[in-house]
Amino acid sequence: MRSLPQQVPRLAIVFGVALGGLFVARGLLIPDTFGDRGHYRAAAVDSIAAQPVKFAGRAECAVCHDDVLKPHGAGNHRGVTCEVCHGPAQAHVLAPLEVKPSVVRKRELCTACHAFDPSRPLGFPQIDPVAHNPRAPCIGCHRPHTPEPPTPPEACSACHGHFARQKAVSPHAALTCETCHQAPPQHRTNPRAALPGKPESRTFCGQCHGTPETGVPQVEMESHGQPNLCWQCHYPHYPEIR
Amino acid sequence: MQGYIYPNEYELQWSLLIVLYPYLTGLVAGAFILASLERVFNVKEVQPTYRLALLTALAFLIVAPLPLQAHLGHPERSYQIFLTPNTKSAMAMFGFVYAWYLMVVLLLEIWLDYRKDMVQWAQASTGWRRWLYYGLTLGATDLSPRALRFDESAGRWITIIGIPSAFLLHGYVGFIFGSVKANPWWSSVLMPVVFLFSAIVSGIALVLVLYMLTTMFRWQKIDMPCLDKLAQFLFYALVVDASLESLDFIHRLYEAEESIEILGQLVENRLFISLIVLQVLIGTLIPLIALGTTSPALRKGGMFRTPPDLRQLIYLTSAVFVQIGIFSIRWNVVIGGQLFSKSLRGLTVYKVELLGIEGLGMTIALLVLPFAILWAIAKILPPWPESEAVRPAAPQTA
Ligand code: HEC
Ligand code: HEC
Ligand code: HEC
Ligand code: HEC
Ligand code: HEC
Ligand code: HEC
Ligand code: HEC
Ligand code: HEC
Repeated sequence: MRSLPQQVPRLAIVFGVALGGLFVARGLLIPDTFGDRGHYRAAAVDSIAAQPVKFAGRAECAVCHDDVLKPHGAGNHRGVTCEVCHGPAQAHVLAPLEVKPSVVRKRELCTACHAFDPSRPLGFPQIDPVAHNPRAPCIGCHRPHTPEPPTPPEACSACHGHFARQKAVSPHAALTCETCHQAPPQHRTNPRAALPGKPESRTFCGQCHGTPETGVPQVEMESHGQPNLCWQCHYPHYPEIR
Repeated sequence: MQGYIYPNEYELQWSLLIVLYPYLTGLVAGAFILASLERVFNVKEVQPTYRLALLTALAFLIVAPLPLQAHLGHPERSYQIFLTPNTKSAMAMFGFVYAWYLMVVLLLEIWLDYRKDMVQWAQASTGWRRWLYYGLTLGATDLSPRALRFDESAGRWITIIGIPSAFLLHGYVGFIFGSVKANPWWSSVLMPVVFLFSAIVSGIALVLVLYMLTTMFRWQKIDMPCLDKLAQFLFYALVVDASLESLDFIHRLYEAEESIEILGQLVENRLFISLIVLQVLIGTLIPLIALGTTSPALRKGGMFRTPPDLRQLIYLTSAVFVQIGIFSIRWNVVIGGQLFSKSLRGLTVYKVELLGIEGLGMTIALLVLPFAILWAIAKILPPWPESEAVRPAAPQTA
């Protein structure tokens, strides 16, 4: 019988040692419970379970703070649970008088969630912390457990400040917005769903400026500025004579 | 920032090091495939680069996992992927792909190829070098014709196994990216193939550069037929690679999935320099034209006759350009794939760190390291044709 070339047994030894080493290492280094329940060390679950509990959960607070819990559960912060703001409170639950959870009264608590950030979902209430009532603590105006959305402003100026400020210093200062715009009430709460009307014809302005009884400056409606609409020459919110 | 991007997409998780990793493995696979050309397909001209290509592959293979280790930050735990193999995770199987390639393919082939020389170097030297070479032979000092025939045929077989293994090694890297369903810039079945051919391109270009430089610095004459052949292969590989890349591109354009708009923005804004200028223009078109006209790829002796000195310069420049281009490909894949929001709404920016474990400094260090390793290996196992022990060896009995 021809013997194997000399290289074969030598290489076989090297590979054998490498493979054997791998198996020995596997035997020595793989933790006992590895793979029992999946691709992980099963005993890790126990060691995690053995860690001290830090968070108590909202339900625990009910025993003693029902007065907070009820309104909180019905308010706008119902999705923000107690320990988000007060920190882990298991220790407090076990010894309420000795350990007090943190109560942050600073603006930073709120701006963490409410400061303007373009990546926040559309419709999430956001403010610019620099411009929104600077320096005053948020909880001075908003109840932390039951914050309210702002009541819709009554005045047209709340949203159309630019027009209002112009009109206020114009000859039309005395005219209310509603004189010229029929604004449905819904426009104040949901502006784009119900748009107010706008004057459509020359005769609208003629109600005053073509009617001598009103005592306002008059023009000859038949000829003045024809055939254009009045507001093509006179800005209605700040009419000038030029 | 531009458009809209979720906070978790703002910061890129896969940094410059992950660009480096496919680049390095690509060089390994490419260099090895070049070496196989000589062995399996009997391309005699490139014989002077055979050993250089093998050692290059080895040097880069040793460094290839280091970017991953640095990126993940816990190198001391890396052995665990061998102990508890997770067959469901492509990433976790990397260790095995790597080990297979290193142990069964590369080291074995180098050992078989060098064994005869190592025996003779051991006999010719004294002191620790003698023991070193003797140790490297594993005591297999038989130089009988039969033993040498075994080296030869076993080496051949290993090369034959090695080609699919090299494909596996780098195809695997492409697979990692191509299989990320949620990322329209990556998710493509063409990815492994594109990776593979770009790997071949980069490997040939690297060996070409190394061959020229090492020959020049050893004050030897460059073997022009060998260089021409390398340039010719580089050209062919580049043609295939460019066609595949364009196929991928056209396919995306034609398919025009919902992601096409943001990908368009990505290419026009964020990747303009690295994709259009570096990858396409510098890395592909210029080398294609340069090599196509001067190398013997399209016409024997080249389309234009050029003096060898000029041709060497053109080859060298083209190969360096190709390296820049391939590095850009890796950049465009890895970084590009993270620059746009997965909700397809906006783009973010990537700023490379300078220092730090994932920074530019680390990247440069890891790019230089393979050359240092190659230098060290070449000291022990010189790949130069003139250091080879005279063939055929005098028959000896063990
Ligand atoms: C066993 C009864 C009990 C439970 C359960 C309990 N607390 Fe209290 N909590 C108290 C008492 C008592 C005080 C002290 C009131 C005082 O000092 O006026 C207190 C005070 C507080 C304060 C105010 C601390 C301060 O410095 O003013 C906060 C905030 C608070 N609890 C949060 C919680 C939260 C959150 C939970 C649920 C995880 C919870 N508590 C569960 C009894 C309880
Ligand atoms: C959005 C953050 C936030 C959440 C959520 C929150 N709290 Fe508070 N809580 C505060 C702040 C701020 C104060 C301090 C109010 C003050 O000083 O006027 C406070 C005060 C308290 C106090 C002290 C007594 C009081 O009424 O002023 C108790 C008790 C309390 N919280 C319990 C709870 C419990 C129980 C919950 C869950 C049901 C909860 N909190 C949820 C922010 C929060
Ligand atoms: C952990 C995040 C978080 C913190 C901290 C937080 N909030 Fe809120 N806040 C919310 C969420 C969530 C809502 C409900 C938004 C919705 O209904 O779409 C909300 C709603 C509100 C609203 C109602 C606005 C509206 O238009 O519906 C106000 C006002 C408000 N928060 C004020 C505060 C104040 C003041 C604080 C600090 C004491 C605070 N928030 C702290 C998350 C937070
Ligand atoms: C001086 C009282 C005051 C203070 C202090 C104050 N707010 Fe307000 N906040 C208001 C009023 C009034 C509104 C409703 C009118 C408006 O939008 O300006 C409002 C509205 C809001 C809204 C709803 C915005 C929307 O678009 O739905 C949020 C959220 C809010 N505030 C958060 C805060 C936070 C957070 C702070 C502390 C950083 C704070 N506020 C401080 C008075 C205040
Ligand atoms: C809550 C904020 C808000 C209030 C209050 C409000 N508006 Fe508006 N208004 C809007 C918005 C938003 C639009 C739509 C602007 C747009 O679509 O570009 C609008 C549009 C209009 C338009 C233009 C409609 C059009 O066809 O272009 C008029 C006129 C108008 N408002 C008048 C009024 C008048 C008059 C009042 C007071 C009775 C008023 N608004 C109160 C928010 C408001
Ligand atoms: C004298 C009548 C008059 C008064 C008073 C008046 N407007 Fe107008 N407003 C007009 C006319 C006319 C237009 C149409 C202008 C046009 O189409 O170019 C208009 C247009 C608008 C528009 C739409 C602007 C645009 O660019 O499309 C808004 C918003 C508006 N007015 C708000 C107000 C508000 C708020 C007030 C009260 C502060 C007010 N207007 C008072 C006559 C008036
Ligand atoms: C409800 C009555 C009324 C309506 C409607 C009205 N105006 Fe007037 N207008 C006035 C009053 C009052 C003055 C101020 C007169 C004064 O300064 O003595 C005035 C002033 C003017 C002036 C300046 C005249 C001057 O001499 O300074 C112009 C221009 C003008 N209005 C244009 C318009 C236009 C255009 C419209 C239609 C969009 C319009 N007005 C609708 C009442 C009205
Ligand atoms: C082609 C542009 C143009 C148009 C359209 C136009 N005006 Fe005039 N209006 C002027 C000019 C210019 C003046 C000042 C010179 C003048 O008195 O003729 C003026 C002056 C006025 C005055 C002041 C008259 C006075 O004696 O103080 C009033 C009031 C007036 N216009 C209202 C209107 C009304 C109402 C309409 C629509 C029916 C209208 N204008 C359309 C250009 C125009």
